[in-house]
Amino acid sequence: MALTAGPPLPAPLSVRRIRIWARENLFGSFSNTALTVVISLILWVVIFGAGPLIDIASGSWPDHLLGNGILRFVFDGAQWEVITANRRLIFVGRLPSEETWRIWVVLFIISGLAGLSWGLWSSIGRRLAVMLAIGLVPVFLFMAEGESALLTAGTVGVFALGYVIARMLLAPGSYRGMARNLLVVSWLLSFPITMYLLSAGDNVDSLNWGGLLLTMILAVVGIVASFPLALLLALGRASSFPVIRLFCVGYIELIRGVPLITLLFMAKFILPLMVAQEGDVSLLGVRLLEMNDIVRAMAAITIFSSAYLAEIIRGGLQAVPRGQVEAAQALGLGTTRILAFIVLPQALRAVIPAIVGQLIALFKDTSLVLIVGLTELLSVARQVTAQADFIGTQAEALLFIALVYWIVAFSMSRASQQLERTLGVGER
Amino acid sequence: MAFFYQASVQRIGTVLALWRNVRVQRFIMQAAFAALVVIAAYVLIDNLTSDLAQLDLEAFPFVELSGSFPFIDVTQDFLKQRAGFDISETSFGLEYSANDGYGDAYLIGLANTVRVAVIGIFLATILGVVAGVARLSNNWLVSRVAMVYVETFRNVPLLVQLIFWYTVVFLKLPKITEGANLFDLAFISNRAIALPWANPTGAFGFWLLLLVVALVAATAVRAFRSRREDKTGKPSHPWWWAFGAFLAIAIVTFFATGSPLEFDRPELAERAYIGGLQITPEFTALLVGLVVYTGTFIAEIVRGSILAIQKGQTEAAAALGLNGFQRLRFVIMPQAMRIMIPPLTNQYLNLTKNSSLAVAVAFKDLFDIGRVTINQTGQAVPIIALVMLTYLAMSLIISLIMNIINSRLRVGTQ
Repeated sequence: MALTAGPPLPAPLSVRRIRIWARENLFGSFSNTALTVVISLILWVVIFGAGPLIDIASGSWPDHLLGNGILRFVFDGAQWEVITANRRLIFVGRLPSEETWRIWVVLFIISGLAGLSWGLWSSIGRRLAVMLAIGLVPVFLFMAEGESALLTAGTVGVFALGYVIARMLLAPGSYRGMARNLLVVSWLLSFPITMYLLSAGDNVDSLNWGGLLLTMILAVVGIVASFPLALLLALGRASSFPVIRLFCVGYIELIRGVPLITLLFMAKFILPLMVAQEGDVSLLGVRLLEMNDIVRAMAAITIFSSAYLAEIIRGGLQAVPRGQVEAAQALGLGTTRILAFIVLPQALRAVIPAIVGQLIALFKDTSLVLIVGLTELLSVARQVTAQADFIGTQAEALLFIALVYWIVAFSMSRASQQLERTLGVGER
Repeated sequence: MAFFYQASVQRIGTVLALWRNVRVQRFIMQAAFAALVVIAAYVLIDNLTSDLAQLDLEAFPFVELSGSFPFIDVTQDFLKQRAGFDISETSFGLEYSANDGYGDAYLIGLANTVRVAVIGIFLATILGVVAGVARLSNNWLVSRVAMVYVETFRNVPLLVQLIFWYTVVFLKLPKITEGANLFDLAFISNRAIALPWANPTGAFGFWLLLLVVALVAATAVRAFRSRREDKTGKPSHPWWWAFGAFLAIAIVTFFATGSPLEFDRPELAERAYIGGLQITPEFTALLVGLVVYTGTFIAEIVRGSILAIQKGQTEAAAALGLNGFQRLRFVIMPQAMRIMIPPLTNQYLNLTKNSSLAVAVAFKDLFDIGRVTINQTGQAVPIIALVMLTYLAMSLIISLIMNIINSRLRVGTQ
């Protein structure tokens, strides 16, 4: 009782242990040793540059990334001012500076909810926490100026606070179930609140969105708007009505067979001819939205995403055992009720991780709107390198936004893996 | 999969009201749905044609319905118009000049897309398999490098990577006068990467035919040797024998036909490379970007498929005395292959569709030619329809090929 052994402590580090470890893991056999040497060489070139090697080939590579190596570039050669000088543009685009508070409010809401959810549904391992912290360092370095540094720290703080509160709620005998339901509702509510905050106001307009803000909005709107459509398509594909099934299969396979960029072009060139040109779109006298390039891009992304999401949901529907439906039918439930209370709750629960995966894919895919002329993150990165002061800084700008994309995509994919484990998908 | 098939149960003798009859209900539902779709399509297309009429354009200028088979007559007036733009790069030795029509330009773009997609699929598969296996390696450094590669390149958008490869890596290479010269055999500069190459001569076609014969012969040798191995139990190395037979025939016929291939070494002239295989930075950037990005996904598929094979299989193979490579080649991979094919197909489709991002690195693929054509002629509707149909056709062909491979792998197993 008192003498339960804890996990074995790691043996103290010593030269001998390191030697044994290296022999086991790096130099086990001849081929293993050869591999280790070759990989080390390649790593050397990437990190420290291929300068000496290239001299042999009589080329001149004084300022090429391959000649210098990543390390020297990042800490010595790079002109990071291109990022610090254009911080606003990169993160929020042309949103007027007196309206920036809206972004922070949204960020606080989202990070608070994220912290709560992470705490309620799974835990952050020490390694993940370290990785997130390391990922945040460069962001912080670039934000470190006056109030935005404070607010960034605040965002992280809210996340941590949410996490801690959630862990306390997990204690036995507390309100875990209720908290989870409440959280789901809050997530659902956060979307309209965010959209309201970001579009209602005299100076705020969807045309002002840009940079990371626009990237995020396009991805989230893409998932949220395509969800109902995808649900209908998935049900249609599983329906017993041949006409409806045919239509849904045709739509899904057509959209999945063409690149997103062709749909974006269609939205840019053909959609204005089909539905509405610039200006307000109203249905039955109610003003719905103002048609512009961003709305058209959203339409294309929604059309695209719905086909993929429909296939994901179909996977979930197929994972629901037939017996569930039959049992419900035996109880005398009608089609609608079986769907709403028996099939969909199980199907959707099973595909939440896959939906997060789709959100990540969409988040990366939004970079394509650059080609139809919207100023999302990648497009801003190209614009800033055209400024007179920062000509030739493509490497800096691209590396920085790559890091931003990476942090968001990587943390979301880790979250979805955790979620998969907590939801026990495939374990039942 | 039909979830809610409601059988139309009717008690004999009772007469149901028509609207209570399930069959009638089903018919009405579907008719209503079809009508809705038709009306929506009609409104959209009507808007489109009336808007296009104002712009003095037709919706589908090169397709006319006709009475004769196959009912669609491709009138080529529009596609035969002089394109007037140059295309810097063509594939498969196709020739094009600005005086050719839009249709010709489109075909050049299609050939470029096919070239980058085929080479890309080939290289991405190799990279993906190597990285996927490497991630499971017991060499710490190898598995860590593979992990960092996968996690880094998978989580950054392809477009960012493409632009990076193009503007930061391949365009920033030294100028042609200062480029690298590898032993007068190959050159690297921002103009092109020039490699030695073998050009076919007149006898090439005949030699290719003989190679097919050699392949048949090699297959026969392999079958013969492996039958011998089965009978006598002595190791007979059927693959080595087959390879040797093929090589012997290939070399003998190579000289017998009077060298069907001509060694072609690139040379550095004033401001250009002459001869050899010249790869443009645009093509290289697109290819490297597509391969590196798709390779990460293939690596994850390969890793997942290998992990899905029961551990007992590896242990049993080890107990039989197979070494690491043999375990992978003869026990794990044949089983993992079957799990791999369907998700691999998806990645091949993605790579092909993603090649449309060539527009960002100024590579003249089919989408980019389409884009230029739209800018010049304003014919957005037919061009976008044509581009979409072409991608759809390519997706279909890839799916078809992969389905055939998939069913082949299944033959004679479990």
